Amino acid sequence: MTSYIIRRLLYCVPILFGVMLITFVLFFIVQPPRARARAILGEKATPQQIDDWLHKHEYDKPLPKLFVSQTWKLVTFNFGLSDKTNRPIAKTFIDGAVPSLCLTVPAFIAGFFMAVGASLYLVLIRYSALDRFGVFVCVALMSIPPMVYMFIGQSALALHFAYFPAYGFEIRGFSTAKFLLLPVALIVVMHFGYDVRMYRTIFLEEITQDYVRTAFSKGVSQLRVLFVHVLKNGMISLITLVVTSLPALIMGSILVENFFGIPGLGNALVHAIQTGDAAMVNALVYLGALLYLGSLLLTDILYAVADPRIRLS
Amino acid sequence: MFSEGLIRPGNLPILPRFMISVRTPFRLPSLWVLRAFLVVALAGGLGGCGNDPHPKPLHTKREDGTPWVVRYAYMPDDPRSLDPQFAYDQMSRLLLEPVYDTLLEYHRFKTDPFEVVPCQLEKMPERVKNADGTEDYVCRLKKGILFHDDKCFPDGKGREVTVRDVEYAWKRIVDPKVECPALAPLEEYVVGMEEAYEEAKKSGNFDYSKPFKGFEVVDDQTFRIHLLKAYPQILYWMAMHFTCPVAREAVEYYDGKEHPDGPGGQIVQRPAFQWHPVGTGAFMFDYYEPASRARLIRNPHYATETFPSDGIPPENVEELRPYFGHTLPIVDEAQITVFREQTPIPILFRQGYLDNMGVNKDAFNKVVTSSRDITPEYKARGVTMEKEVDVSTFFTTFNMQDKVVGPNKKLRQALSCSYDTQSFVDIFWNGVAPAAQQLMPPGFFGYDANYRNPYGFNLEKARKLLEEAGYPGGIDPATHLPLELTIDAAASGSEERQMTEFMQKQFEQLGIKVKVIENTFANLLAKEDNGNFQILYGTGWGADYPDPENFYMLFYSHNFPPKGKNAALYKNPEFDRIFEKMATMDNTPERLECVNQLRTILAEDCPQLFEFHKAFYGVSQPWAGHTKTNMMLEGGLKYARVDVAMRERLRKEWNQTPTWPIALAVIGIIFAGGYAVQLNRKRND
Repeated sequence: MTSYIIRRLLYCVPILFGVMLITFVLFFIVQPPRARARAILGEKATPQQIDDWLHKHEYDKPLPKLFVSQTWKLVTFNFGLSDKTNRPIAKTFIDGAVPSLCLTVPAFIAGFFMAVGASLYLVLIRYSALDRFGVFVCVALMSIPPMVYMFIGQSALALHFAYFPAYGFEIRGFSTAKFLLLPVALIVVMHFGYDVRMYRTIFLEEITQDYVRTAFSKGVSQLRVLFVHVLKNGMISLITLVVTSLPALIMGSILVENFFGIPGLGNALVHAIQTGDAAMVNALVYLGALLYLGSLLLTDILYAVADPRIRLS
Repeated sequence: MFSEGLIRPGNLPILPRFMISVRTPFRLPSLWVLRAFLVVALAGGLGGCGNDPHPKPLHTKREDGTPWVVRYAYMPDDPRSLDPQFAYDQMSRLLLEPVYDTLLEYHRFKTDPFEVVPCQLEKMPERVKNADGTEDYVCRLKKGILFHDDKCFPDGKGREVTVRDVEYAWKRIVDPKVECPALAPLEEYVVGMEEAYEEAKKSGNFDYSKPFKGFEVVDDQTFRIHLLKAYPQILYWMAMHFTCPVAREAVEYYDGKEHPDGPGGQIVQRPAFQWHPVGTGAFMFDYYEPASRARLIRNPHYATETFPSDGIPPENVEELRPYFGHTLPIVDEAQITVFREQTPIPILFRQGYLDNMGVNKDAFNKVVTSSRDITPEYKARGVTMEKEVDVSTFFTTFNMQDKVVGPNKKLRQALSCSYDTQSFVDIFWNGVAPAAQQLMPPGFFGYDANYRNPYGFNLEKARKLLEEAGYPGGIDPATHLPLELTIDAAASGSEERQMTEFMQKQFEQLGIKVKVIENTFANLLAKEDNGNFQILYGTGWGADYPDPENFYMLFYSHNFPPKGKNAALYKNPEFDRIFEKMATMDNTPERLECVNQLRTILAEDCPQLFEFHKAFYGVSQPWAGHTKTNMMLEGGLKYARVDVAMRERLRKEWNQTPTWPIALAVIGIIFAGGYAVQLNRKRND
């Protein structure tokens, strides 16, 4: 196990290097710092102001030196200040992680339980007309693009039915829930079709197993077989599916955050890209990559822990 | 698509290990109980949460028992900084200007032409012309202006503003570390500014203890600004936040470092000065959260100004009469929401959660009819609409040093005549933005609404001019092929691409061929700096101040890029001569004559094709009485007013929550449950 982990950690090095190289090429070669300085300082900035800005941010170094210094900053977690707002990037990351987690963790948990519940329900009524209709609805839900959910959710539930605020966020007890209900519900719905289809298939495969037949023949009720036996055994497959979506929790749901004004990391990343804030994009992409690699590793380890038959070697 | 075979990694058989557990299995609550809980939680959650997106106001009642009045505004992006000597973008100004009063100020209601009036100064500065060509402006501060109460002052009580605070602000303009955008335009005119800047740059530190030659402290209330040459536009700079007094205590206290300020001496980080403004304005800064919202609160000690009684548009006089001489601000609190995404703005306005809104493209058809009136739905709600014309002009620039369009005046005139600005505005700006006939936008001294550009859209004339230019029918006689021109344009989205295509088609009507190079906006600006283009499309100029000099300097030959903004690289000694004379004059009939001459020269030479002045429709709720916006003024929040009772009533009326969708959902769940039970029973049988 230890040697496996070390090997996996070593694999991360070239991946991270690649990530840093790509963001560097995009933000320092495709769009040179001088052009970004113009965009950030405004059309009316003088050449002197642009030079000063470049010098202050050390963007006037030759490219190889610049790449080394940028990489060093990331590797040592010394992210510095945002190009656009001059706020410390580390603070932006921490400040943004809280709203992102507030959005994605409930969505993840609620989504998981609802999808498991719904898929068990479909398995309970398997092969009936309503089951087929349910599968049809799932396919329909999968086919609709996320933006459509957001537009419909906002205009129907927030504007016309006035159940939820259409925009905004606040971390203050119950009012946090008020802002999160709609975006969380939308994230759940966006993934619902895919998840239910997937889990239903897992459970259906489980229900054809011999042990289930044995249980039924011993007179165990449908509900008990489903909720006790099938659910527990299906969990191994579910865990592996679910854990891969963990990194998305921290980086937030980019589209939803932006659309509902939740000041999370996804929102920060979109804004940094739009405004040419290279320092911020570099740091956020790097941290995102780190977290992603970390959780992939965690997935493999968890998988081995959940199912002792799997050996990491 | 996904394959069902992929679900189980490795396709390993899974043994029923849990089935043989000897533990008593956990008994799940009945499904019916769970469902009932879900329904109750859903109904409770929906019914109880409400859809008001704003945080609770600071208070519900004022000290005298009258209701606490909140104004709900918004900004479409985050500010860059709230440092008055650094920030210059519109978002920053929206938050900054209500907090920092300026020496002079734009009169709230006088917009045609704009007028600057005293704010922190007792009266307009006195212009002194010296024999050696230099000039002085003598200014006298009002007495008793107080800084906001803030922790940076002893006992947290704001002290009185003195001339030293103004001097400190002017020194901050020069300090290279502050990076003040006003330095470049001012150093050419203010005595000692350039030297002080160079000296500070060389030593790496600006010495605030040294006197600054351009700013003379006469006494506690009086100061003199020394200018190297005539520059009447200095008055407009005094109406901007760059020159407003700043408390040195605030800059030094809010250093962004860690201090034992927390409860029980706990170490916490203080905000930097650029995120904690301490001014003298009608509003005090409460907080700003990036990508979220900001709050400003009434300054209880504000007495610098009162609501004006002059210059009010006749149609608003009756409505505003009760406010004449009223203390400012009128509202107690301003909540400002940051919208990085524009779609929710019309939704919140419709629900009554925003007091006013600029109509964006998403909302245009819902709010504005094809006859450019407000739609019946919004009219019935009592919403009022006003067309707001921005102080900016958008244009297409010809490179005067290009070997094809540069020397050929008739060609430029022909291109100008071929471009149908009105159709462009109708298609891309819903017909709202006025087509530009001249360089300056409305509201400027010398702007003539009746003037028509002699080289405006006229296709016949364009063809004739092209023939005179040496390209009959658009054919280049040297190659016998259509003349080929190149447009450099910004292409950040499909709409910009369509706009460029529109221009391309307009020019190609003349039989010429037009090639379009698409650039990012940053690259386009770089090309503008280097003069590396033939025709440049997609830029404009927004006024720093409403003076003809601020626009006509775009063609002054001493302003070539990258230092200046003469992007067309236009050089005309006659133009320069008149410009130099006009720039330093007071607004007299003689100056008007000069401005008109400059306008005629530019129209004839056509170094730019004037397109439009940016404009939009602004709508206001019935409770937020609206008068035409002063586009030079971002600190106008102090004049805003709100009828709280009406807002409360209408919001309730507009945000009724129906119960039938919840009932439908409950019925659906009950049906699904019943169906499962029935099916289960049938299968068990």
